[in-house]
Amino acid sequence: MTRKSGTATDRRLAFEREAMPHLDAVYSTALRLARNPDDANDLTQETILRAYRYFDQFASGTNCRAWMLTILYNIFRNAWRRGEREQPAATPEEFDAEIEAHSRAADQSRINPEALLLNRTAGRRIELALNALPAEFREALILVDVQELNYQEVATVLNAPLGTIKSRVSRGRALMRKALCRLDQARGKTGT
Amino acid sequence: MDCREYISEYLAGHADGELAPLARRAADEHVAGCPICRAQLIEERALKAMVRQGAAIVKAPADLKSRIRGALDEADRRAAAPWTARLIEFLAPVRALGSRISEPLVWAPASLAAAIAAAIWIALAVPQHDSVATIPPVPEFELAIDRFKQFQHEFVPNVPAEAYENETGAVYAWVINRDPVHRVADEADSDAFNDLARSYRSANLPDDLFDFMQAGYMIAGGRVDRLADGRPIAYTLYKGMAGQIVSLCFHDPTMAAPIGAVNWLGLRSFYEYKGYSICLSFYPTGHFISILITRMPVMQLMRDVAAADPSGISR
Ligand SMILES: [Zn+2]
Repeated sequence: MTRKSGTATDRRLAFEREAMPHLDAVYSTALRLARNPDDANDLTQETILRAYRYFDQFASGTNCRAWMLTILYNIFRNAWRRGEREQPAATPEEFDAEIEAHSRAADQSRINPEALLLNRTAGRRIELALNALPAEFREALILVDVQELNYQEVATVLNAPLGTIKSRVSRGRALMRKALCRLDQARGKTGT
Repeated sequence: MDCREYISEYLAGHADGELAPLARRAADEHVAGCPICRAQLIEERALKAMVRQGAAIVKAPADLKSRIRGALDEADRRAAAPWTARLIEFLAPVRALGSRISEPLVWAPASLAAAIAAAIWIALAVPQHDSVATIPPVPEFELAIDRFKQFQHEFVPNVPAEAYENETGAVYAWVINRDPVHRVADEADSDAFNDLARSYRSANLPDDLFDFMQAGYMIAGGRVDRLADGRPIAYTLYKGMAGQIVSLCFHDPTMAAPIGAVNWLGLRSFYEYKGYSICLSFYPTGHFISILITRMPVMQLMRDVAAADPSGISR
């Protein structure tokens, strides 16, 4: 009844063609959410299987990656919600504290040349700033900038109104800038 | 547009290509005449590129890929199994995710799922087709038929659509949390969304929602209304390839199950009535009844209701 016409093999082939190319995107997001490889593997597998089961509901021509990430987030939210998972920097105040902590760490890295070198790499700097963002801002930025979803797709994935996404992206970037400045200031003090 | 407005309202959308044509033209014009904002825009795009590099996509490990392909093969094999086997599987809790995610789920326990499946199996195995005995007119069923006909050509939801459904067909409803694709409303999120279930509850009605996705039906809309005597009533329209199911839920302390049911499933009874298939349910508290009405065969409705069982009232 729900199946589009075609054999099971056709369905599998279509899934391999349309959905499987997004496996890495799903895995990366799972890794970021689950924060350990074992859970990320399970979360990824669950997402793919569920996407396969509901593949008939995917409207072809729309963004398959966004659709799969929506499933991933739904699984994650449902499975994780009642767990006592610590969220890094949930509020702007906590964000400030987090950034201060990173800045201090950068100060201390003066005595550790290796850490200093690491902190100077651009990727590490961005990562520190991103990780200090409240989760909702970080997720919105990553979905827009890394996964290249449009705002409407991000709204769907994160289950939030479009207006909320717009402001999260805008505020998220402002917070990123602030974080990067603070990190640079701290590093400036170390004389590099 | 001044600089402050550009930066707070337009900059991000401008860099992301998300502005509507008019807004985009205004933003372009501002930037063309304002070197400061032009620099901001360039910087915003640079920041995007930095985020893209700093949080790059990681390749899934090879062993995970082969594990997933194996699981897909297995799913293909199982898809060939008869529907009863699939139903039992469907009712069973989804395999727990990793240790940290596994514990706090509220899915129906396996034993209960098996019991429901067994009950359905028994019910279906012993069909009691006394539909020759015509049922005397039932006012509630007449109401259901009337609404079903009306909703065929006109259904105006008055609960905001984005509140309960998204592009992926995820339904935000207060159904058993057996399937994460069907996002379950949660009190913890209560400030975030006002979903269909919550709309019904706020009208003092049970959140009478069915998860018919497995059966190929999606929630097409919800409506809270009043009957002629002022009682609130919730209508939910489910649409699928095979047609429509309409649900009606309202307070009705005098209703008793009419004689002549084709079958029973816990607190639900199923009827063939004037060419329609009807599922009548009594909510255990508050004298609310739920009527599902459709044109599809009653046995099909039974299967789909069993698979969708929202609040466990067929237990
Ligand atoms: Zn300007």
